[in-house]
Amino acid sequence: MKPLRRRPAAFAVNDPNVVVSKTEIVSAEISPQTPERMITATPFAKAGAISKHFVLGWSVAFWSACGGLVALATGLAISELVEALYARSQVLGWIGVSLAALAALALLVILFREIRALVRLTAIEALRDRAAAAIVSDQRAEGAAIARELLHLTRDKPLLARARKTLSAHVDDIIDGADMVRLSERSLVGPLDQEAKRLVSAAAKRVSIVTAISPRAVLDMVFVFATALGLMRQLAYLYGGRPGTFGLIQLARLSLAHVTLTGGLAVGDGVLQQILGHGVLTKLSTRLGEGMLNGLLTARLGLAAIEVTRPLPFVALPQPALRDLAADFMREISSEPSAQSSISEGSSSSRAST
Amino acid sequence: MINPLSRFLDQAVMSAQALVEFGTHLVNPTIRLGVTGMSDAGKTVFITALVHGLMQGGRFPVFEAMAGGRIAQARLAPQPDDAVPRFDYETHLRALVLDRRWPESTRRISELRLVIEYQSRRGAMRTLTLDIVDYPGEWLLDLPLLNMSYEQWSAESLALSRQQPRAALASHWHDHLRTLDPLGPAHEQAALTATALFSAYLKSCRDQRYAMSMLPPGHFLMPGDFAGSPALTFVPLDIPDNGAAPHGSLWSMMRRRYESYKRVIVKPFFREHFARLDRQIVLVDVLAALNAGPEALRDLERALASVLACFSAGRRSVFSALFNPRIDRILFAASKADHLHRSSHDQLEAILRRLTKSALQTAQVAGAEVDVVALAAVRATREAMIGREQEQLAAILGTPTAGEVLGEQVFDGETEVAMFPGDLPDDPDLLFTQTSAFRGLTATSAQNADFRFLRLRPPILQSGHGDKPSFPHIRLDRALEFLIGDRLR
Repeated sequence: MKPLRRRPAAFAVNDPNVVVSKTEIVSAEISPQTPERMITATPFAKAGAISKHFVLGWSVAFWSACGGLVALATGLAISELVEALYARSQVLGWIGVSLAALAALALLVILFREIRALVRLTAIEALRDRAAAAIVSDQRAEGAAIARELLHLTRDKPLLARARKTLSAHVDDIIDGADMVRLSERSLVGPLDQEAKRLVSAAAKRVSIVTAISPRAVLDMVFVFATALGLMRQLAYLYGGRPGTFGLIQLARLSLAHVTLTGGLAVGDGVLQQILGHGVLTKLSTRLGEGMLNGLLTARLGLAAIEVTRPLPFVALPQPALRDLAADFMREISSEPSAQSSISEGSSSSRAST
Repeated sequence: MINPLSRFLDQAVMSAQALVEFGTHLVNPTIRLGVTGMSDAGKTVFITALVHGLMQGGRFPVFEAMAGGRIAQARLAPQPDDAVPRFDYETHLRALVLDRRWPESTRRISELRLVIEYQSRRGAMRTLTLDIVDYPGEWLLDLPLLNMSYEQWSAESLALSRQQPRAALASHWHDHLRTLDPLGPAHEQAALTATALFSAYLKSCRDQRYAMSMLPPGHFLMPGDFAGSPALTFVPLDIPDNGAAPHGSLWSMMRRRYESYKRVIVKPFFREHFARLDRQIVLVDVLAALNAGPEALRDLERALASVLACFSAGRRSVFSALFNPRIDRILFAASKADHLHRSSHDQLEAILRRLTKSALQTAQVAGAEVDVVALAAVRATREAMIGREQEQLAAILGTPTAGEVLGEQVFDGETEVAMFPGDLPDDPDLLFTQTSAFRGLTATSAQNADFRFLRLRPPILQSGHGDKPSFPHIRLDRALEFLIGDRLR
């Protein structure tokens, strides 16, 4: 029978063939193998997604064609401009050329950064999927790989210095896959969650106060939009992503999709009571009520963004609920005694309290 | 036969007990953790390492309450049952740390109370009382006897003793058995001789060459305080299928003693200790069975099945807490996982899962949580890779105890060696089939066995958190998390 073919044996410890596994234990923080593997793997997935988009239809063709035309027009305009400059004077021509070259270089760099940011975001997404799979499969090697990757991802977070040290000491211990993922979540992502909750809560508070005092509906729309985007960016940075413009757009899209998927302001969140409970306040001022609603919406969006940007799924730690956040910032707002009259004071004091 | 009235009374007594306990537990949450396993499975070491780790703050990353710093303190407290010996933690710890030898094995039931002061996740200061009950796994083999008559047990034991490799070990007792006439008058001396021979047979089955597990009645191996009493002086007899025991015959004497064994020894144990457990860990020495061979493995499977049928497992509810106390979490642990390289741990778990398959299903259906883990409460080895003729062997480094043999080598108990214990198959069924080519000590010499797991000496203590020494271990934290983690939230 095959499986039992290798016989038991003993060797002296000083036998040159015996390699004690201590050498296996490399410092986990500086082992870059896994992230590289991920980066080479992800562009393929992206390419597949893009080609699918191309098939999608005429609208895509139309916009791409238009884009092409605009690009051509720009190129043409620039070249004509440079020619015109040369015609006027040699020096001006050279200045024109170098400016155009600089612009092209900058564009390239920006594009490169954007692509890297997108890859990074996808890598985080992939890490989350892998972690979810490892929870089920309980594979030890996979668990350790995820922990290593997370250590790599959070290497520039001063908040986690000690936690990283402790976790990297455990990476080579005999810990099963699911346990390892939970352990990584508790030690590395837990502190970030606290910070994330604080960020979301602060943004929500800001939005509700600004809505309450802003003179124009358009203005607070713009403000809500800007705050939400800023919040997403902050959260992405917090959890180790570096979203550029496109990355941010993608994040916003994902978060919005997530909010729609989970039903906007879900009744199950227990927020309704919060709103009803503050009905009296709303009677006092429609403005304040609107502010609160906008704040809740921002918080909801922030929570969705947390789920989208977090490198691990919520397994060992409780998912922050809207209820907690809402209770938090509503209390602070309505605890201002003369909220309506001295709202500007309120805004400054609550901002100071964050 | 079993009297319905006595069964009802038992149930009533247990319910009353449970009611009182339920009341106390509301005020003072308590977990009774049963630790059991056949002798040599590592119960004593498990408890010692667990208590030491909880009190000294061991390296338990997976045990959330401790890793998260929520356990303020764990201390020993006087135990609640005055009639039960205390688990001698200090002596066992001294043996492990100072003498570097494994502690004395469990011979009887013992108990230790540990009070854990912790802070709940929401911030409240709480205490959890952990009563650890250590009892020989052999006693569990007695529980199935409660539902068996003397005649049934007798027939079963005889049939078992006539199988290989037991028949060879039982030959002396079988010879004596042939001289006995169950229908003849009772002789005390004959009964004593037969019991001595029967016990000797049971004991020899436990030798590491055979490593049999299914050896009821358990108190013959672990007599506790009853050694020599008539309740422990009975043997199976070759009794005719039909017919009744004549008055004053050997048969009727044996039957009476068997019944008193159940009444005096088994039932009190069941009622006073076993039925009150909340959580249970069953340590199984799979490696000893692998050492011995397929017969030992099949015997272990049978023993586990009969033991597990006795657990009344199920989800805990207010109703069950009041009227029908249940075990709501059972952990099967393949102990001594440190004797294998980590790459073989999954295979070890698969074998244990295969051994406990039916029990796992029943318990899960009843709503209890069951898990299987390969652990080493105290890790005595390091890992190494050995290059041998183009192949890499995943091996372990450890110090075998004096007198252990592997291949041609005999060890002196001082030198550290690298060992390759053999490859565990990916498919555990390969070990269980009748045609299995796997041979252990039962069938062949130590030089030719497929697996060799040697006894190793305990490690030298390493320092853990805050420079307090802690035992290295494998998955002890995972076991803790499963057994008590949910009550420390």
